[in-house]
Amino acid sequence: MEQSGHLAIKNLTKVYERGQVVALKDLSFSVKKGEFLVVIGLSGSGKSTLLRCINRLIEPTSGSVSLDGVDVTSLPSSRMRRMRRGMGMVFQHFNLISRSTVLTNVLTGRLGYTPVWKSMAGWFSKADHELAMKSLERVGLEEKAYVRADELSGGQQQRVGIARALMQQPSLLLVDEPVSALDPATSNSIMQYFEEINQSDDITVLTSLHFLSLARRYGTRIIALKGGELVFDGLPSDIDDSRFKEIYGEEAEEVEVR
Amino acid sequence: MSSAGRSTKPLSQLINLLGRSLGQIQKAWEPFIVDFAIIATTWILITYTYSWFTRGPELATYFLVPWWLFLIGSVEIAVLWESFGVSLGHTLFRVRLLGADRRPPTLRQAVVYFFGWHISALPLAGLLASPPLHERWSGLRFHPLIVDSIRPRPWYRRSIGIYLMALFVVVSVAAVGVTITFQNLVRLFSDAYRVAPLWRALVNPNLAILKDSFSDLIVTIFMAVMATLFATIIAVPISFFAARNLTQGAIGRTVYTILRGIMSIFRSIEPIVWAIVFLVWVTSAHASFAGVLALWIHSIADLTKLYAERLESIDEGLMEAISATGASRFQVLRYGVVPQIVNPYISFTLYRFDINVRMATVVGLVGAGGIGGRLIAYLSGQRYANAGTVMLLIVVAVWAIDYLSSRLRSKLL
Repeated sequence: MEQSGHLAIKNLTKVYERGQVVALKDLSFSVKKGEFLVVIGLSGSGKSTLLRCINRLIEPTSGSVSLDGVDVTSLPSSRMRRMRRGMGMVFQHFNLISRSTVLTNVLTGRLGYTPVWKSMAGWFSKADHELAMKSLERVGLEEKAYVRADELSGGQQQRVGIARALMQQPSLLLVDEPVSALDPATSNSIMQYFEEINQSDDITVLTSLHFLSLARRYGTRIIALKGGELVFDGLPSDIDDSRFKEIYGEEAEEVEVR
Repeated sequence: MSSAGRSTKPLSQLINLLGRSLGQIQKAWEPFIVDFAIIATTWILITYTYSWFTRGPELATYFLVPWWLFLIGSVEIAVLWESFGVSLGHTLFRVRLLGADRRPPTLRQAVVYFFGWHISALPLAGLLASPPLHERWSGLRFHPLIVDSIRPRPWYRRSIGIYLMALFVVVSVAAVGVTITFQNLVRLFSDAYRVAPLWRALVNPNLAILKDSFSDLIVTIFMAVMATLFATIIAVPISFFAARNLTQGAIGRTVYTILRGIMSIFRSIEPIVWAIVFLVWVTSAHASFAGVLALWIHSIADLTKLYAERLESIDEGLMEAISATGASRFQVLRYGVVPQIVNPYISFTLYRFDINVRMATVVGLVGAGGIGGRLIAYLSGQRYANAGTVMLLIVVAVWAIDYLSSRLRSKLL
């Protein structure tokens, strides 16, 4: 593997055609294997767009993303789907099938590995079922396997989202504002799951966060976006008061979340 | 990468041009149709009231002038209104006709706009250009309406003024309405005795015809079942191409527009009209088949719209999440879309079945099979006791199915 890193992003630009909004402006950085990288910035600074450009849920306008030396941006759609299996994603609003059971939701993480005709009938292999139960055990929800997803609390739903992403056995986890819809106490416990996954499975985590206190506590490295541009790239301890105002604007004040 | 996406294929260029000019037509005609409708309605109201008082109720007429003069007059007044004044249509669609730098139109510009409109917008040809020809000639454009909050509002725009105006409109419409229909209103009560035999017969059902009527009722219900079943089979796949969020790109958008257009035409024709069409088509020897076809075609149009609207409001986050696992297009459909639509689809189908049972009786009235035919035969033969029996049967059946389907639907939601 080359020294430049596990995930390399070069000159990434995204312009939304409607209204000519520039969401990402010539962004370049790379991520090493096993890093816990936190992306911070105001709403609308391009954090979500960045994460979605990496697994191409949003098509970048120009620039390139490469994972383990494979240029992701130029892949045809069938190979892109195979590539996505290695990138798990966790969402702000959980995005679960609310009417289905927790187990079914977790099993959908295996769709990329399952033949289409089998998945149409809802058949997943025995190994997949075992893996699903193991994933649920990791997030402490094995007892809820046969409960409908919409009967769970917000924090529990997000844990199902994590279990679903784990099913992909990814090398990279893209996490989009995982705790914005949760209360502070739950937020911390969710972040601890990511920390545990990052450390024991050596899965690279790339997460956007609103709260700087959480970013400081869990991130091994922080990048900050402002208006689609990279304005900070460094260690959590490097963000002092003047840096903070640079990222969030003059009027901002830091809020602690414990 | 995306610069190559802007292809210069003649077909997509043509589709773009068509789409643009459709947009232009919509923009130019929406306010005009509103203005035209307001003027035509006012005209009819005034002339009808006037002639009702001068000539008497029997000779009251809608236009007082030949119909073509009425049409041309309404169009001209509407265009005059739009060119020289601030029309209600413009206000409704939040636009103002203004010159460069939002300057109010000069008299010359308004005159050019007025005559230009006849050459450019009326035959639609000038709307192919962007901006349309009459706007280009006069230098006037539609600008978005900006409400200036500093200037005090005129009295009729203050809340009390709006209420007074609304009250005035309601009272005058009611006054005109009552004046015109007063005699009929009296007759409604004074002639009530005429229906007495019908009421009396209704409570004295003739049980002898119950068995035959019941078998006709079964035919009617099965007409509804068949129509709903086959309409569902067709409407489910079609709905995916009639949902705005699932049809993207030039071709998808064209398919969407055509499908929605056809469906809204089909839906606007009542099943009873379809029944008459199909009775001629498949001959009245296959009366109930014609009835099924009539209900079927109307149900397809209705269900496609209901289904497609449900598809348009699905949570795209789930589709995103399923795509992110590396799922294929069909898997995204199966796990990202289907779970969100299954129950609403079933609920809509039951609801439509409900309507179809009632409609099957109605199409029967024009001879398209089932119990409706029996009812109309008894009624026209003045055999009210028999008609009453049939009506009771229909009421019971419709009520039962209505009740069952609403119970089922509430379980599904």
